[in-house]
Parts: sequence; structure tokens; C-alpha cells
Amino acid sequence: MNSQTDTTLQPLGFSEEHDIPVPYMQRLRDYYLALGYANPYRWAQYADVPFTPLNLNLDQARVGLITTAAPFKAGAGDQGPGATYNAAAKFYKVYSRLTNEPEVLGISHLGYDRKHSTAGDLNSFFPLHALRAAVTQGRIKEIAPRFYGTPTNRSQVTTIKQDCADLLTMVIEDEIDLAILTAN
Amino acid sequence: MSLTARYLESHGIPTVILGSAKDIVEHCGVPRFVFSDFPLGNSAGKPNDRESQTATLELAFKALETAPAPRTTIQSPQRWTTSSDWKLDFQNIETIPQAEIKKRRAEFDRIKEIGQKVRDQAADN
Repeated sequence: MNSQTDTTLQPLGFSEEHDIPVPYMQRLRDYYLALGYANPYRWAQYADVPFTPLNLNLDQARVGLITTAAPFKAGAGDQGPGATYNAAAKFYKVYSRLTNEPEVLGISHLGYDRKHSTAGDLNSFFPLHALRAAVTQGRIKEIAPRFYGTPTNRSQVTTIKQDCADLLTMVIEDEIDLAILTAN
Repeated sequence: MSLTARYLESHGIPTVILGSAKDIVEHCGVPRFVFSDFPLGNSAGKPNDRESQTATLELAFKALETAPAPRTTIQSPQRWTTSSDWKLDFQNIETIPQAEIKKRRAEFDRIKEIGQKVRDQAADN
């Protein structure tokens, strides 16, 4: 089989076998098992998925931006580009900040790819510049006055019962028409 | 983020997730997803590359405008680099020496302890 892959298929221009989306669930499961944690994480999984069609044109829409990035926390150590994993920078409650008063946001509290990425450009995980340009170009009407930060709780119960409910209250107050969520 | 998108959507707010962990997001099941095949941490486009970031956001807009049903994934055509070798690195147990694994266990226990302290402080406030 391998020899066929190597010799017969090569001229067809196939990409390398590992050039697929990274299998994170398998990687993380194997990683933590190897570290000695015998109770693998159960990833959220649903058969049914909700769907709300967009019922207005984007140029009439107020857009809410939701992030897992954290505001800079004084006294919590290095949270800047290239920082090692920093659990002290974590937060545990949904927060909001004014969109027109950008502050320092970081992802040092998240397990991003530190070998191939430094989190040196906020806009690679928090697309505020691109959203502002979209407003200028008339692609969207406006950005909500606040953006929103959600914790990355290990507890899915807390995420749904507490964090999602808190966030919904905020975005309803701000009358957003749609939400863009950036994962990390 | 997937749980959050689902929650908002079920309360009448259309959502789109920008992300790079395709398996995790699709395993959960979300309404709309723009997948960038990039190292984690770059869900909104390449760093210091306005063109990449603009194109990524435009795919999010397109997803909102055109997704015909839930579980719609749009994959960005952008490549992180010409080589795909970066995909072999992230927490890949096959490439980590035994001695390093022991070190990482100790480090992870330390991180968990800090996280617990921060969580306890947050609960007290």
C-alpha cells in the first residue's frame, strides 16, 4: 500500500499525508494520557444544531465581537507576545469593554500554538481592524459599542448555565444583530 | 466558543465562529464556522497581514449571508506556509522525549494549582 502511495500517486500532485486539519482531539487525548491523567476530557457533542437565518442585510447590521482573549491583568506576570502558558491571567466571568477604547488583550492564558505563533498581533485573533474597515466600506453598519470576553472554563455546565446566560444579557442590551466569535 | 455560538443562536442571534480547531468545533456542532488551517491563535487571519485578516472576515460575512443550514463550514483557502510540517508539532506525543513528558506533568500540575487559586479568588470577589 505504502509503495503504491509513494510511487504511483506522487505524480498526481497529492499533498503530504499529514497535510490535513490537525486532529486536536486525538492529540490532546493522547497527550494528557501520556502525562498520566487517566480521565480524558469529554468534548461537547450534539446531534442537533440551532440555526437562526440572518434576516437583514449586513449593511444594516450591528455586529458583536466575542473573544476568549483576556484583558491585561496587573501583577499576573508576562501576558504579552510569546509568553509561556499563564494560568494567572485567566478570568472566570464574562466581561465586556468599550470597543472604541481598545486595551491590551492577550491569549497567554490559552493553549495556542506557541511554537509557530507568538500572538504578537492582536488582529490575528481579535479582528477589530478588519471590522472597522468593513464599517468604513459599508459592508456592515456598525460594531456594537462593547465587545465581550468569555472564559474558557473546563466545566461545560458553567459555560452554559452561567457564562452563556451572562453574555446573552449583554448582547441583548447592546441590540446586536449578529455575533462573530473568535476561538483560539 | 462552540457552546456560546449555539446558545446565542438558539436565542435568535445569528453567529459565525472563526477558528482553527476543525475537529473540536465540528464535533460540537455549530451553525456557521470559518475554518482557517492555521496554528491555534490565528483564527482571524495571519499576524501583521491585513489582507489575510480582511479575507478571513469576509468569509465570515459570506457564511452569515449564504449558509443554507446549520453545520456550515467554510474553509479559508489561505495556507499558513508552503510547508505543512507545522501540523506535526502541536502536543504530539510521538515527538516528545520521555524526560520531557515528566517535566510537562509537573508543569501542568503547577499550572492547575495557579488556575485553582485564581478561580477561588474570583469566586471570593
